[in-house]
Amino acid sequence: MMTTTTPSASTPAPGHWERSRLVPSRRQLAFTVALSVAGAVALNPITLNPFVEVLGEALFVGMVLLFGFKVAGAWRQTVLPRWVAQVLAVTLGAALSPFIVQMLSVGGDFSAFAASRPMVRGYVLVTLSAGLIGSLFALGALYRERDAQARAEALQFALERETLQRQAADARLRLMTAQIEPHFLLNTLANVQQLVESGSPNAAPVFRSLIAYLRAAMPQLHQQTATLGDEERLVRAYLELMLMRMPDRLTFSIDIEPALRALPFPQMGLLTLVENAIRHGIDPGCDGGRIEVGARRDAGREIRLWVADTGVGLSEGAGTGTGLRNLQDRLQAFFGPDSGVTLLEQAPHGVRAEIRVVAPTAA
Amino acid sequence: MIPSMAATTPTALIADDEPLLREQLVGHLARLWPELQVVAQARNGREAVERFDELRPQVVFLDVHMPGMNGVEAARCIGRRAEVVFVTAFDQYAVEAFRQGAIDYVVKPIEEERLLDSVQRLQARLRVADDAQRPEFGALLERMAQELRQRGGARSYLQWIKASVGNAVRMIRIEQVLYLRSDAKYTVVAWEGGEALIRTTLRELADALDPECFVQVHRSAIVNLMHVDRFSHGPGDSGEVHLKGRNERLAVSRSYVHLFRQM
Repeated sequence: MMTTTTPSASTPAPGHWERSRLVPSRRQLAFTVALSVAGAVALNPITLNPFVEVLGEALFVGMVLLFGFKVAGAWRQTVLPRWVAQVLAVTLGAALSPFIVQMLSVGGDFSAFAASRPMVRGYVLVTLSAGLIGSLFALGALYRERDAQARAEALQFALERETLQRQAADARLRLMTAQIEPHFLLNTLANVQQLVESGSPNAAPVFRSLIAYLRAAMPQLHQQTATLGDEERLVRAYLELMLMRMPDRLTFSIDIEPALRALPFPQMGLLTLVENAIRHGIDPGCDGGRIEVGARRDAGREIRLWVADTGVGLSEGAGTGTGLRNLQDRLQAFFGPDSGVTLLEQAPHGVRAEIRVVAPTAA
Repeated sequence: MIPSMAATTPTALIADDEPLLREQLVGHLARLWPELQVVAQARNGREAVERFDELRPQVVFLDVHMPGMNGVEAARCIGRRAEVVFVTAFDQYAVEAFRQGAIDYVVKPIEEERLLDSVQRLQARLRVADDAQRPEFGALLERMAQELRQRGGARSYLQWIKASVGNAVRMIRIEQVLYLRSDAKYTVVAWEGGEALIRTTLRELADALDPECFVQVHRSAIVNLMHVDRFSHGPGDSGEVHLKGRNERLAVSRSYVHLFRQM
């Protein structure tokens, strides 16, 4: 019962008043006028005063009630729940405003007011009807407000759910690509073992690369939000491992624009293309080749990433389709429908894979 | 070639495309079989066969997975002229085949105890030193070579369509292709990203495409069923297929309407 803290997320500057709640909406204003007119029409037959006077009184009362309602709603206080304060303000307004009207009509003489039976009767009548109608109006307005709030929350919820669904879809797709091939792992470990046994100074950095690769490739250890910088480290780790294994057949370069390192990027997206380049381009050829990885921001928000190799090239029957389809789906889930991956044949031989994405914000 | 020398100093060739692993095997063998002389190292199957022909070592260690000619193919070339031991990283298929065929193999990363078993078997067999008494693995190796070739990526059906777009040759994944239509001397490839012209004829393509996905609906058109939204009957016995998310429709001639009959 102590406090009912009002959430004030929408107001940047704290103060005693919530400005956004103070100004009545056009609909509220129109509603108040309509109700006042209806009240005046209803009261007219049972009062002796001319209709214009009654109407003026009703409008005045209506406006006071609306004012009370808005002020009580905008006032930052922690003693009463807002709706109680608002209904109280309306009731108070209903009691006070007809009294003010009556006092004005008798020139401020209370005893004259108290002595006049029709005046007191009129006051009670107006107060009761204004209090009743005003409270109903206040409750109705509060109900509408809560409804709008519920709708806004539902919208927010739907938005969050969609984000979650997208993340879940990405995680599922990622799981499908993230499989460490036993053949790759055991061959790599055999190489590392030799480095260790021969006391090579390369052992330590190679271990670091292996750990970096495994961390990314194991579904359980996936990061929720990876950046292009993370991807660059992963690709470098993988290529360092491959360089250890085929030093006479592989050369590589990585050239990613430093400003792009903070870009959120689907984890293992670039790696998929690099693995393809090794598997289908470099590894099958006795002479191996060179792999070039890069990323550039083109005009505006468009970003181009590429993995180009000078390997043997893809045969028309080579099956890398599912990995690429998967990558395409993930890119579109991540960056929108205008993103995608394209494969081009390189002269004299090799493949160039290009990713085009539209960055979410022009950072 | 008189094998009197060979009886005293056994010789070996090691073939692996990864230099550290060649080095490692050399090290293991130096410890387990000091008399063995590794006379050559090769980086792929073809080199292995060349070096073998040159030096005729008695023992050959062949990595299964090598570029160009793989270990199994090299073993087929060497035949019964040497003792062959395969070296392989995890490969369920190969290991199973070797076991069933009683072919000697060691698994990477190499455990010395396992290698010692192989070394002892080799030493026992070299005492006999007669090529003719070596078992013949030809048929099994041929089957394996075939299997490994296929696994190398060569699927039975077309996975890519290579089409010139400007100066570049674009590789279109087959599942992105909506339909193929013959157009004078060319074939039009309609795919998710646009249209491209290729020189391969529709008939040639029909033979190379997966019949589960690609069906001929007209003399001049093949459609990818994955992109078909629905079929509607047209005048006479003909019909039309409507594509998912696209406006164009493809005519289905009478002889192909049966493909779309209700189940």
